[in-house]
Amino acid sequence: MRGIFRNRLALAGGALLALLGVAALAAPWLAPYDPLGVNLPEALLPPSPAHWLGTDTLGRDVLSRLLFGARISLVIGFIAVGVSMLVGVSVGAVAGSWGGWVDAVLMRLVDTLLAIPTFFLLLAIIAMDPAERLLALGAWPVVGPAFAALFQAVDPRLVILMAAIGLMSWMGVARLVRAEILSLKEREFVLAARLVGASRWRILSTHLVPNALAPVVVNATLGVGGAILTESVLSYLGLGVQPPIPSWGNILNEGRIALGVAWWLTLSPGVAILVTVLAFNLLGEGIRDAIARR
Amino acid sequence: MLRYSLRRLLAMIPVLLWITVLSFGIIHLAPGKPTDVLTQFNPKVSLEARQRMEQLYGLDQPVHVQYGRWLSRVARLDFGRSFLDDRPVMEKIAERLPITLTLNVLALVLVFGIAVPLGVRAAVRPGGLFDRVTTVLVFLGYSMPSFWLALLGMALFSVTLRWLPVSGLHALDAESWAWWRRLLDMGWHLILPLAVTAVVSLAGLSRYARASLLDVLRQDYMRTARAKGLPQGRVLFHHGLRNGLLPIITILGLSLPDLISGSVVAETIFSIPGMGRLFYEAVMARDYAVVMALVTIGALLTLLGNFLADLAYAAADPRIRVGGAQ
Repeated sequence: MRGIFRNRLALAGGALLALLGVAALAAPWLAPYDPLGVNLPEALLPPSPAHWLGTDTLGRDVLSRLLFGARISLVIGFIAVGVSMLVGVSVGAVAGSWGGWVDAVLMRLVDTLLAIPTFFLLLAIIAMDPAERLLALGAWPVVGPAFAALFQAVDPRLVILMAAIGLMSWMGVARLVRAEILSLKEREFVLAARLVGASRWRILSTHLVPNALAPVVVNATLGVGGAILTESVLSYLGLGVQPPIPSWGNILNEGRIALGVAWWLTLSPGVAILVTVLAFNLLGEGIRDAIARR
Repeated sequence: MLRYSLRRLLAMIPVLLWITVLSFGIIHLAPGKPTDVLTQFNPKVSLEARQRMEQLYGLDQPVHVQYGRWLSRVARLDFGRSFLDDRPVMEKIAERLPITLTLNVLALVLVFGIAVPLGVRAAVRPGGLFDRVTTVLVFLGYSMPSFWLALLGMALFSVTLRWLPVSGLHALDAESWAWWRRLLDMGWHLILPLAVTAVVSLAGLSRYARASLLDVLRQDYMRTARAKGLPQGRVLFHHGLRNGLLPIITILGLSLPDLISGSVVAETIFSIPGMGRLFYEAVMARDYAVVMALVTIGALLTLLGNFLADLAYAAADPRIRVGGAQ
C-alpha cells in the first residue's frame, strides 16, 4: 500500500518535471509577452485574462518572466549538480580505489570543507565577484581560447554562480562514492577482473564506478532541487542572476518592494520554486525507494 | 575518554588552519580592495590618502604576508578592526551574538520539540493517516524557499492583518518601557523570524526521527519485548525511543553551527541586527576582517559540534567505545 502511494508521488514528480522542461524549452512560443518588455503604464496590474499572473513594477508580464525564469533556474540546477557530481564522483573514486595517503589527503579536504559554514562561504565567493579574475583565464595558453569562448557565450557571473553552488556541495557525494567503492573492491567480480589482469584504471572505470552510481543518482536528483533553492536565495539577496535576466529568485527580489500592494509578484515565483523543488524531491525519494527494494 | 578527547581536539587544529587558508584565499580572489568601497566613489580621497589607508591595513603586502599577520593576531584572539567603521571586530560580534543566539537557540528548541514527537508519532503506524499527512507536510516544508515563506508571512500577518510587526527587534519607543514589556515586545517581533528559521529544519529532522525509529522498531529486541507481554507504551518508550533517538544526538551536534549561520536569511529579511546580517553586510562591503572572523568562528563551532556529538553519543550509548581499539 505504502509503496504504491510513494511511487505514485514519484511518478507525479517525474511527470511534473517533464512538463516543466517542455514549458521551459518552449518558453519563446508559450510566453504571451516579451519577458523584458517594459510597459510602465501597465505596471503592477493584478492577475487578469490579459495578464494571467499580473504585471511587475515595470509593467512586464509575470507569466512570461516565470516561463523564461524556468530556463535559468533549471539550467543552474542541472549544471551546478553536474559540477558537484563530477568533482564528487572523481574524488570519491580516486580516494576509494587508491587508498593510502591519497585517500587520507582527499578525505581531510572533505572534512575541512564540511566544517565551513557553506552558505557563508558561498555568499563570500559570489559577493567577492571574481568575474574579472575569471576573464583573465582567456589569456592562458592552450585552454585560454576555450575559456574566452565560454565567457563570450555565457555571462561569467553566471558561470561563477553555477560553479560556486556546485563546488560547495560535492563533499557528500565524494563520501558516498568512496564508501561504495571500498565495499565493492572486496567483491568477487572485482577480484575476478584483477585475476584476469585488468588494469587498475580499467577496474575503476568499468567495474567500480558504474556500480557505485546508483546512490549518486538519488543524491543528484535531490541536489538539483537544492541548487534551485540556493539560486533563489542568492538571487533574492541580489547576489545571483542579475536583472534584467529573469530568474525565479530575482523576480521575488523585485516583488519585495511592492510586497504590500502586489502580492502576485511574491506568490507566483515562490509557488514555481516550491513545485519544482518538490517534484525533484519526490522523484529522488522514489528512486531511493526503488533502489532499496532491489 | 580523556586521551580520546585530547586527540580529537588536537586534530582540529590543522583542519581549522586549512579552513582559514582556504577562506583567506577565496576572499582575496576579489579583484577590488575594501579601500575601493570607501574611496572609489569619493573624489575627496586623494591617491596618497588611499595608499596610506592600504598601508595601515597591510593591503599593500602580498597575500601570504597578510595571512601570517592575521594568523598571529588571531592567535591572541584579536580579529582586527572592521574596515567599515574601524571598530574592533570582536566588539561588533559581541554586540550581535546575543541576538542571533537568542533567535537560533529558540528555533532549535522549537525544531527539536516539535519534529521529534512528530517523527515518532508517524513511525508508530507507518502508512497510517498521520504518517501520510506528515509526509506530505514534510515534503512541502523542505521544498519551500524559507525566505519566500517569510515574505508571505510578512505580507499576510504584518502588512494586511497588522497582527505582527514588520521588522526589527523592538518597537520604536521600547527604550522607556518596563523590562517585562520590552521582553514581550521582543517576543512579538521574533514570532515570524522564528517560524521561518524553524520550518525547513523541522521538516528534515522529523523525517530523520521517523526513519531512525522505524529502523529500531524492526529490530529483534523489539519483537522480544512485545513477545514477553510488555505493555505497548513501555515497549515504545523504554525500548524503542531510547535506541531510536540516539542518532538525534548527532543531528543536534551538527546543528551547532546553525546557531550562528542559520538565520542569515531571516535576519536580512526582518532587519534583525544579528550575526547573519553582520555577515551579509560585511560580505557586500568586502569587510575582510569581519568575514574572516565569522567564517573562522563558524568553522570552529562546526568542529566543536561534531566532537561534542561524538562524546555525547558515546556517553548515551554504552555499546560505543571511543578511543579504544584503533
